[in-house]
Amino acid sequence: MLYLQVLLNGLVLGGLFACIAAGFSLVWGVLNVINILHGSFIVLGAYAAWYAYGILGIHPFLSIILVAPLFFALGYAIQSLLLNRVIAAPVLLTLTLTFGLDLMLSNAMLAAFKADFRKLVLDPPLGLLSVGNIVLPVDRLAAMALALLLTLLLYLVLSRSRTGRAIVAVRMDREAASLMGVNVSRTYAITFGIGALMAGVAGPLIAMIFPISPLTGPVYLGKAFVVCVLGGLGSVPGAMVGGLVLGVVESFAALWFGPEHAITVSFALLIAMLVFRPTGLIGRKGYE
Amino acid sequence: MSIIRSSLAAVALAFALPATAQDVIRIGAPLPITGPLSPEAIKQQRGYDLWAETANKAGGVRVGNRRMRVEIVYVDYQSNTPRAVQAAERLITQDKVNFLFSPFGSGAAKAASTVSEKYQVPTIAATASSAQVYDQGYKFLFGTFTPNDTLTEPLADIVKSKAPGVQRVAVLARNDLFPLAIAQEMEKSAKARGMRVVYSEKYAIGTLDHASALTQIKAQAPHWIFATGYTNDLVLMRKQMADLKIEAPLVTMVAAPAYQEFIDSAGKGAENITSAAWWHPAVRYKGTDIFGTTEAYVQAFKAKYKADPDYAEASASAAGAVLQMAIEQAGTIDRQKVRDTLANLNVTTFWGVVKFGPTGQITSLEPPVFQIQGSKPVVIHPPQVKQGELRLGVQ
Repeated sequence: MLYLQVLLNGLVLGGLFACIAAGFSLVWGVLNVINILHGSFIVLGAYAAWYAYGILGIHPFLSIILVAPLFFALGYAIQSLLLNRVIAAPVLLTLTLTFGLDLMLSNAMLAAFKADFRKLVLDPPLGLLSVGNIVLPVDRLAAMALALLLTLLLYLVLSRSRTGRAIVAVRMDREAASLMGVNVSRTYAITFGIGALMAGVAGPLIAMIFPISPLTGPVYLGKAFVVCVLGGLGSVPGAMVGGLVLGVVESFAALWFGPEHAITVSFALLIAMLVFRPTGLIGRKGYE
Repeated sequence: MSIIRSSLAAVALAFALPATAQDVIRIGAPLPITGPLSPEAIKQQRGYDLWAETANKAGGVRVGNRRMRVEIVYVDYQSNTPRAVQAAERLITQDKVNFLFSPFGSGAAKAASTVSEKYQVPTIAATASSAQVYDQGYKFLFGTFTPNDTLTEPLADIVKSKAPGVQRVAVLARNDLFPLAIAQEMEKSAKARGMRVVYSEKYAIGTLDHASALTQIKAQAPHWIFATGYTNDLVLMRKQMADLKIEAPLVTMVAAPAYQEFIDSAGKGAENITSAAWWHPAVRYKGTDIFGTTEAYVQAFKAKYKADPDYAEASASAAGAVLQMAIEQAGTIDRQKVRDTLANLNVTTFWGVVKFGPTGQITSLEPPVFQIQGSKPVVIHPPQVKQGELRLGVQ
């Protein structure tokens, strides 16, 4: 019974991790941009949901629909106005640029929202789902379901739509795609927009579960890194698998080795993956 | 106009001629103003500044027939303990301060106390709780925090008397200096009263998930869950306890529930959570110090900073207020005489009763135990300031 509960805890935690990592993985895989802003986008999305609920009474699930286009626009603008100017430069330059933007965003949030920890407390709460002795919180289950849904949606967009194929084509070979008539910089902007959108919609889910503060971005960014390496870079199903594996590993590591070693074990796994299977669990070469 | 001009002249004179600054009491305060401990330094500074401002507004400290202004000389030691020791020495030898406030925390306070002992400078530590800071036989070091076990002992006493059925205790601690130390004291206090510690683990700093630990705790069916950490840890943990349907007669959390943001963030989950701290704005003392009552202190703090004071800020103000009382009683700023007065002091302040033991650490303070009732912290111990009774049942 204990093991089953811990396994389920791990899976719902993993769903959240997948949600946190999906957009990050896409941007890294396609644009070769390590988007340091990703964590702060999540936090910004969380604040949007917190204010929407606190002031306007909009349920976080609804605010997902509201924040999605805003974050897409924000991401699109950042890529087309700033990142596209240095996209051909070595990866360190884009990393530095997003790092700088992240400093600006997190300090702006610090000034606007103050450093206090806040939490979106639903009234009435979503409650629990219990079967026998097994208990699962509905908010986490919903977050996991939504993460799966969004990931599936993203997968479909990438594999079925014209824009999606263009994204994959640019990822495989930028020059060739450009010769085939794909507008590369527009495709980049759309990809970054989708990445920002995925981060933004993770925010309201996070807000229901974790305390929010302007400087928690790096915590989510760290998880996104591990999930990407575990699952395979740039692969959307990889982010899902990587997230779930990380959630389960951390949960059992906490059970068997004590809670202080949960993170140790997950990072040991990360190093092992980098040594023995650098393409990740799913990504053979990572193309959809 | 002439008044303004002459007071400007007086200010200019005071700055221009530090040698004649006989009317100023200078107190050195080495603080970690930059580096990882800087949030703590800000709290200390807020506390000291409020005291200095209040004392100066009242005309200064009464020394015999004279009034002397207070000036606090801050030095940044960049969160680096060896530099704190150098800073203390510099303050004494070069800046010629009359007295000293210790650097932040037990470790740095102990390190710097060697310097103040060497130069025989009365020194007050506002944030050093470990008994080991005071066990070196030094004569010039005084501290306003009681040892860590004075937080857990009264808590365990109340539980023992009000809820004798509480037998099984689970402890989950953040792997960090103070949260871990207080958890260890809790285990000792519980065991000393015949309770059984059925779970005891620590979690890493930056942990995003407590589900596994809490699932194990649930399996042990404890009567009392004692969790330590900071606001974000404990808000998350409280939410996950509800997620896993963990209920217990008693849940104690240190050190977040003292802050309003914990109560706001935990929502209904905050109800009936118990906690302890060296001081809380809800305690009620009628002090004879410059601030007077606890209410008056909280009012003054709110007026200046638009926020409630916490125990670290109040302790810094108390350090100043107590030093002022000792100087006024001694009627001189002679270091040896002020030291002797401090050693024999027995007064009530907004902070509580202040009497230093033979080691210099305060012995008279009874840290309040409080419980969140109706979304407000309610003091349930000590008896003379209590506002309510312990309630059982955290759901």
